[in-house]
Amino acid sequence: MTSFLPGSRRQDLRPRSSDRGRSPFVAWAFIAPALLIYSVFVLIPIGITVYYSLLRWNGIGAMQFKGLSNYLTVLTDPELLVTIGNAFQLVAYFTILPVGIGLGVAQVIRNHLSGRFGTTARTVLFIPQVIPLVAAGIAWSWMLASNGVVNQLLELVGLGGVTRGWLGDFDFALPAVGIIGAWVLLGLCTMLLVTGIAKIDPSLYEAAKLDGATGWHEFIWITLPGLRQEIGVCVTLTVIAALASFDIVYIATGGGPGQATTVPGLEIYRLAFAHRQVGLASALAVVLMILVVICILPIQWAMREPRK
Amino acid sequence: MGHAGATEVKGVTAGGFAARSIIVGLMFVTVLPFITMFSAALAPSGTYPSGLQWPADPQWGNFFEAFKSASMDRLLFSSTTIVICVVPVAVLIGTMAGFGLARLAPRGSGFVYLLFVIGLTLPIEVVIIPLYYEVQWLGLLNTKFAIILPLIALFMPFSIYWMRAHFVNVPQEMSEAAEIDGAGPWQQFWLVQVPLARPAILSLAILQFLWTWNSFLLPMVLVETPLERTMAGALGAFQGQWGTNIPLLCAGSLIILAPSVILFVVFQKQFVAALLQGAVKG
Amino acid sequence: MGVTSLKAIGIIAALSATALSTTAYAAASCGTDPVVLNSYFETGFPLPTKLSEEFTKQFPNVTFNIKEDQFKNLMENSPRVLAGDNAPDLIRLPSISDLVIDGLLKNLDGYFTELGWDKFPASQLVQLRVNESGRPRGEGPLYAMGLNYSLTGVFYNKSLAEKVGMTTPPATLAELDALMEKAKAAGIVPIQEWNAPNAGLAFPLQNLMGSYGDPGPINDWIFQKPDATIDTPTNLKAMQHLEAWIKAGYFPDDVNAIDYATNMSRFIGGTGLFMFNGDWESGNLDKQMAGNVGFFLMPPETAGGKHAAMSAPLTYGIGAKAKNADCAAFFLNWVATNESARRINVDVGGSNPGGPPDLPIPAVAPGSVTEATLTQGNVLAGENGAMDFIANATGAIFAEGWTPQLQLLVGGRTDAATALTAVQAEYVKELSR
Repeated sequence: MTSFLPGSRRQDLRPRSSDRGRSPFVAWAFIAPALLIYSVFVLIPIGITVYYSLLRWNGIGAMQFKGLSNYLTVLTDPELLVTIGNAFQLVAYFTILPVGIGLGVAQVIRNHLSGRFGTTARTVLFIPQVIPLVAAGIAWSWMLASNGVVNQLLELVGLGGVTRGWLGDFDFALPAVGIIGAWVLLGLCTMLLVTGIAKIDPSLYEAAKLDGATGWHEFIWITLPGLRQEIGVCVTLTVIAALASFDIVYIATGGGPGQATTVPGLEIYRLAFAHRQVGLASALAVVLMILVVICILPIQWAMREPRK
Repeated sequence: MGHAGATEVKGVTAGGFAARSIIVGLMFVTVLPFITMFSAALAPSGTYPSGLQWPADPQWGNFFEAFKSASMDRLLFSSTTIVICVVPVAVLIGTMAGFGLARLAPRGSGFVYLLFVIGLTLPIEVVIIPLYYEVQWLGLLNTKFAIILPLIALFMPFSIYWMRAHFVNVPQEMSEAAEIDGAGPWQQFWLVQVPLARPAILSLAILQFLWTWNSFLLPMVLVETPLERTMAGALGAFQGQWGTNIPLLCAGSLIILAPSVILFVVFQKQFVAALLQGAVKG
Repeated sequence: MGVTSLKAIGIIAALSATALSTTAYAAASCGTDPVVLNSYFETGFPLPTKLSEEFTKQFPNVTFNIKEDQFKNLMENSPRVLAGDNAPDLIRLPSISDLVIDGLLKNLDGYFTELGWDKFPASQLVQLRVNESGRPRGEGPLYAMGLNYSLTGVFYNKSLAEKVGMTTPPATLAELDALMEKAKAAGIVPIQEWNAPNAGLAFPLQNLMGSYGDPGPINDWIFQKPDATIDTPTNLKAMQHLEAWIKAGYFPDDVNAIDYATNMSRFIGGTGLFMFNGDWESGNLDKQMAGNVGFFLMPPETAGGKHAAMSAPLTYGIGAKAKNADCAAFFLNWVATNESARRINVDVGGSNPGGPPDLPIPAVAPGSVTEATLTQGNVLAGENGAMDFIANATGAIFAEGWTPQLQLLVGGRTDAATALTAVQAEYVKELSR
């Protein structure tokens, strides 16, 4: 089984005896168009970002070489560090909630998702993945407003004292944004895990039952290991979504109040295009890229299954 | 699978009921935002409706007004044009490259594959700054090509990963048989591999359609005129212009997300399969 | 895209800008061929759109392509939009210094004499002048024009005022405080304001600064004169007074989540005795709260003291790379001098249309709040108490300085002294970039 990233690609690149000795020119002709456009619009820009990160430049005038001082700023300026901290806080909401709830749901409903009901459920739960993130942001901004549905529901259950303008509150704005992201990703993770759990051999569960295992034991010893791949994928997708988030935050809070919801993605955009500090923005972008890789690699490594 | 697994649940109906109620609960949470947007969209334009309430005098006209104010017809045209330009090209060159890397595998292709795969985890914010200056230098700023070309490039990592994974799993015998018949790689590609790969290609096209339709940051930065952007990109501008008029904003948002949702419901089987497989290709 | 080519472009742009600025503008007009003025306006303010409609009626060959955005996005997007290929011919500009430094705005000195703007009172245009290097403001070439000249102060709900026994506007700060206390006791929201996504509390704050101190030093700070600071003893008193109002619960509980439009909707709906805002809303309030709304200038600290208030031009500029600059300049001139335009300006906007002093200000309904604001505007001008908006000191001081600090102050997360010092620190940081 290959993992999400082809760390185990050595299995896949089996040389094919019939294809060997074929003109490499033809082979490269197949690959060239993709490689060309990818280089021009992705690879070279990555290089240019790194180049910009060494400069002080306002986008129009002269460029000034500044070496690594932009990186020093990124790692020491409290305002920029706050954005990185916010991104990691979002990971808690974007990842733990969907994966946690998805796992719980998968365990409980294991095989009840068939027929018309299953199809309807699948369709509905997937809708958040289909709409633009911007639309999700707008919908939830409205729900979280002082006179929105969330407060309405809270009053209904007697928690009227807690109501407030959630997205304008210093303490709750970031969790509120987290909830929006969790809503977007919940359906996908749930479906992934439910589909995955259906692939687990039911005889394992039967055997466990005969041995007197509780539901909890089943969960720890059968479900979790069996869902290793799916959990890994969920976590990867949600972590990337959290660290690179832009759309939802931009629409829902614009980074505020103060810096409470400013995330690196938003800050990069602001620094580059509103404050015209291209060098600093590029340095932050490089740092973000490195952070994403640092977070994803352990997950990918943990996903490798020793295959018999 | 379905019924066999149900035996260990004590009392099928009870367990089934509990399971279904949980799912229904989740479905409710999923659609709640849309319901509230809908009820807000029916309130009189310019007012601030409170929470979820069916308005006394539903203003269906808000939808027409939103359609007009946002020039939805032009927006639909613009987004469709962009999708038509992006998806076929990206699917084609992605499939070709995937085939090349999987079946033809010239020397050095391992390195090239790694280059593509790096792009899988790349946050778009990392390249948006140089893309802006590059597109400006190319003189394409504020045109549809400012969106089309970078998007095709950004779709390459996943497309190639996806198609290569498919081609790698095609049995040897297929291509060997074709070769014995004297088919060159190009003919092999078109006449044998592509038809075999149809489900994978369809899934890829669906995913790319979604990503193009819903892209936001790229259109917002590279295209100033909202009507030349994608629907999602224009929604940002719509919020800027009408954000203070909640009913109008909700009506407009609902119209903007309607095409994707309608398409999704119609093709839901393929969509769901595509999204699920897109995540766990193994 | 090398460094040298960009430098070359920069040098050429600078040279041509200076060359153009010394050439006599042949004929700033819109000609007879079809012209489309690329315009970037602010959401929620119908005045420029109404003016553009009237202009097209009078000059049918000119149409407007109007894009609107909320204040915050406007501030964020203007550098990028002006530097792009589709630079607007007309753009609403809350803050101009940073844009001048980057050479993004057209130098309007050429139109100054050609269109007769030297006849406008100099004090009208002083806030629109910036030294070519970007600082200080208040001197140097003209980089923007005002669509009108606004005044800020205190609007009040007349029926609620009756309930707390207010018969005449308060003459001192202490009287104002007493009225607020009475309102609070009577269950009326004393001050209706907004604080998201930008800090509307900057309005009461600046009004308090004007009550406690001279407008001179504040203007110096806004104009980026060397060694200017906002962290002064009188400004600290103003900030502390604002903090007292916050602690006494005079603002709505959720003010940090109220945006400008919601704020207007609430005040018009009858919530709030006082609202610190500007006379650009006079036309709107006269329509929606006819007869029930009044206005007074912020009272000074002591009886008989001088008044000072934010009174700024509604700044509009022309992009340096704009394609129809002459026509745009002609439009700006038309707004100040044409009779129908001035009428619309006062009716829809409510602010003083400015222009040459020999042109009459269109008559307004007696007893309307527009009449009140126009009269008070004259009082302020007579006392030389006009200040620019503290939020305009730099391109980012509002988003990065005033707004976070005032939001934190409302949330009880900071105190007056710390907030003021933080804003000054942010100011210094931005000037050093």
